[in-house]
Amino acid sequence: MKDLDRVIHEPARLRILTLLAGLEAADFMFLLTTTGLTKGNLSSHMDKLEKAGYVSVRKTFVGRVPHTEYTITPEGAAALDRHWRELDEIRNLRPGGEGNASGAS
Amino acid sequence: MNSKNSPAPGRLTHPVDPRTVARWAARYARSRTISFLVQWVLVVFMVAAIGVAAGLTSSAYEQGNFGIFTLSIALMAVVFLAMAWFSLSQWGAELVWTITLWWYGEEGYAEAAGRQPIPGWLTALGGGLVAYHLAGAMLVSFGLLRLQWLQPFSALYMTPYLCALIVRQRLGWWAWLWPALYGIHALALLWGAPLRFPPPWRLLDLIVPVFGYGLLAILAGHLYSRYALYKLKQLTRSVAADLESAEDADQEADSPPSENAP
Repeated sequence: MKDLDRVIHEPARLRILTLLAGLEAADFMFLLTTTGLTKGNLSSHMDKLEKAGYVSVRKTFVGRVPHTEYTITPEGAAALDRHWRELDEIRNLRPGGEGNASGAS
Repeated sequence: MNSKNSPAPGRLTHPVDPRTVARWAARYARSRTISFLVQWVLVVFMVAAIGVAAGLTSSAYEQGNFGIFTLSIALMAVVFLAMAWFSLSQWGAELVWTITLWWYGEEGYAEAAGRQPIPGWLTALGGGLVAYHLAGAMLVSFGLLRLQWLQPFSALYMTPYLCALIVRQRLGWWAWLWPALYGIHALALLWGAPLRFPPPWRLLDLIVPVFGYGLLAILAGHLYSRYALYKLKQLTRSVAADLESAEDADQEADSPPSENAP
């Protein structure tokens, strides 16, 4: 069994990174409302993802209001892709064979 | 509140492929249309102002009123310059950005992947769009083009221009409604479909299709973005549940059978 990337495997961080994988960029507010995390939790997870080099941060001002934007890095996208493949392998180990998700499309 | 410990509204009961979240995130981002609504208002303003000025120019020309004729030509020039400045200036871009962020409020900001910056040739075509309509208005003013053919004349440039913009910006399906319906409207007019307003309202032959089809496309995109956001939240919050069960399978596979015995 391969070791999963624990930075990504944490459910909240997987949600965040998966969301960012479909986007060019998203701000803190969007991630907050979509993931349903608290500000503190989200901030902490973003910090970990940034330290792992999986997201990049861009801080700007809209008028006088600070605006923080996050983008998944190529390293983050590669790590996420690898993680998805590993998860698929794990699912296939489940009793009954294919545990592959067939979620809504 | 950690969402892991709280009931997630609308969480799906079946397993979710995390990649589906990325797909719906992209669909949502491509359907955020408020920034287009702001720009659409400006395009409509431009066409309406030019149309009014053209009507004024035409009647002034017929009546030989040199004062109003000069004034309406000047009005068209001012509108042209104002729109060109707004389209090209940093101030215009920042205004659209600020209004968009304000409108979405707590929903936040998400930008679709794969959008390329608008190249110089497309910006030039945008300027050409204004110049083309200005030329159309002049042709109407001098009686070289009948007002009733202004919409097909406009569609000749606007339809391919909008198509190029949509392809370049990788917008969602909704965006195609605008050029498609605008082009079909022009063809229908050429084939004699009764899609005309009576003489005092002839300018609406141009303004209503621009207003109507543009608004229709933008509203369709906005409605779709509401659905995509709902779906996205539902899927995102379901990913954790699926992941936890995958983790359980991982642990079962790694653990010796004796450790699982009571």
